[in-house]
Amino acid sequence: MTDSLEADFCVVGAGAGGAVVAAELAEGGARVVVLEQGSHHDPDSFTARPPEMLGRLYRDGCQTATLGAPPILLPLGRGVGGTTLVNSGTCFRTPPHVLERWQREFGLELDEAGLRPCFERVERALSVAEVTPELAGANAAVARRGAERLGWSHGYLRRNARGCVGSGVCVFGCPTSAKQHTGITYIPRATAAGARIVTGADVHGVVVEGGRARGVSARLPDGRRLEVRAPEVVVACGTIHTPLLLERSGLRDASGQRGRNLAIHPATSAFALMDEVVDMARGVPQSFYVDEFAADGIMFEGAAGPPAYAAMVLPLTGARHTRAMADYPRLAQFGLMVSDESRGRVRAVAGRPLIRYDLCAEDVAKFRAGLARMQELFFAAGAREVYLPLPSGMRPEHARPRDLKLMAFHPLGTARADARPTHGVTDGELAVHGVAGVHVADGSVVPSALGVNPQLTIMALATRLAFHLLGRVVPQTSDATGPDSQPTDEEEAPCPS
Amino acid sequence: MTRALDSFLAAAPWPQRAGLRLLLALARRPRGAALLARAPLAEQAAWSTLALGRYDDPAIGRALGWDAGAVVDRGRALRRAEGRP
Repeated sequence: MTDSLEADFCVVGAGAGGAVVAAELAEGGARVVVLEQGSHHDPDSFTARPPEMLGRLYRDGCQTATLGAPPILLPLGRGVGGTTLVNSGTCFRTPPHVLERWQREFGLELDEAGLRPCFERVERALSVAEVTPELAGANAAVARRGAERLGWSHGYLRRNARGCVGSGVCVFGCPTSAKQHTGITYIPRATAAGARIVTGADVHGVVVEGGRARGVSARLPDGRRLEVRAPEVVVACGTIHTPLLLERSGLRDASGQRGRNLAIHPATSAFALMDEVVDMARGVPQSFYVDEFAADGIMFEGAAGPPAYAAMVLPLTGARHTRAMADYPRLAQFGLMVSDESRGRVRAVAGRPLIRYDLCAEDVAKFRAGLARMQELFFAAGAREVYLPLPSGMRPEHARPRDLKLMAFHPLGTARADARPTHGVTDGELAVHGVAGVHVADGSVVPSALGVNPQLTIMALATRLAFHLLGRVVPQTSDATGPDSQPTDEEEAPCPS
Repeated sequence: MTRALDSFLAAAPWPQRAGLRLLLALARRPRGAALLARAPLAEQAAWSTLALGRYDDPAIGRALGWDAGAVVDRGRALRRAEGRP
């Protein structure tokens, strides 16, 4: 049995890109159907217990991993809100030097001035504001003390949160709904404007006839088939799954770049045993950054969480792990993220993504330097001991790829935008080269590593795409609309005592 | 194995699930643990997974100053009081 729907636009995916496109299109008067593979997660079901929430909120139970040297865990959200439901909420605009590179190397007509209205619109919709020191908590205070003593550039991060009380479990489902993920911001706006959101929809492919999109075919949880007839399709399945959907839709790829150019911002973290009580789960886990070495592709950002989380990522085993965890209240943690030059590839094997990614020598060198700096930061802050993510006794400068314990949170680039059809999967307007009516709005279009968290970039590009599809100019801030518009230059409210 | 850890493993794709179950089985036996000690990444994966389950125990969490139930209750109360989604 086949159900059918008709729309002006069918959006596949309700994460950072899809939700934004859907809301802007629907508010612009278009008929929109959103197909989301995951479900809507009710915050009443959030338990703040890591194993349970990892299994429920993440794709593959948070066990998506790359193959290569070293293997890297790549957590991806699944459901309404996508990864914005389970990320730390950190918001950076695209760095200007990255936009200049995109113009120079990929022929993209994107610059700071042109994207500013998009960023401002997104930031208002998400209530983006800087974390206060009170809300940041003692874990951030440790890093701040170290950075100040070393004279390193640092600051409090900007986040999409309203009324945060520092529950410490952003990545396990915010129990207060303070984090303004797209599932509680843009999706309700889309629905209010008439968009239809279909969850549990397993999309088979984009239907293309005569060189242009005709709609999308999917299967629903009860086995029924769903056909959405739409002349315009926006694919927003995320960097890992978008190239697979384009491939199984039978779309030509003249560039040969589909699934390639995968950047992930590989990351790791270190722990320190402090004299003071840190209680890392009290406060915003990712609230502070140190960007002294950003020009070298090394960024430090906060990381923290409750005991089960800390026990999982603490880079120790055996009795040393047990001893360190007994001192959990005095443990501090901080993260290290590399703007990678390594590039991986995603392919479909038996219908599932196979992700190949090997760390290149330049990125290994960044980790060696970054871990040495991280150790310096913690000792400057007064750490008694520092636990680096390396085999016991290994010095950072001797680390090999297989010695590094890495995770990655920012997959980008597998349907990269390039004005030339011979070099990119999508063009400067994020339309898939060689077919009419198919567009992409997720991290896969981002043509290079950003060096900063990508959610705001993805949302700004999605905003730009939506207004392009509507044939309108993105409104300036003064005439921006949206039910949840908030000033963006204020600090986030402090934690109530 | 706790129910939460079991559901965490069950959510994984079969290759990872099978691999982790094998690593956990090895880690629980002295000879298996000795074998794992020769492969640091595998040993870390096994230890991390076991630790995730062990420290999820509410009693252990509370002893370390973390009360998941209280965090969730406060969140729900705030959402209801302020009409958040």
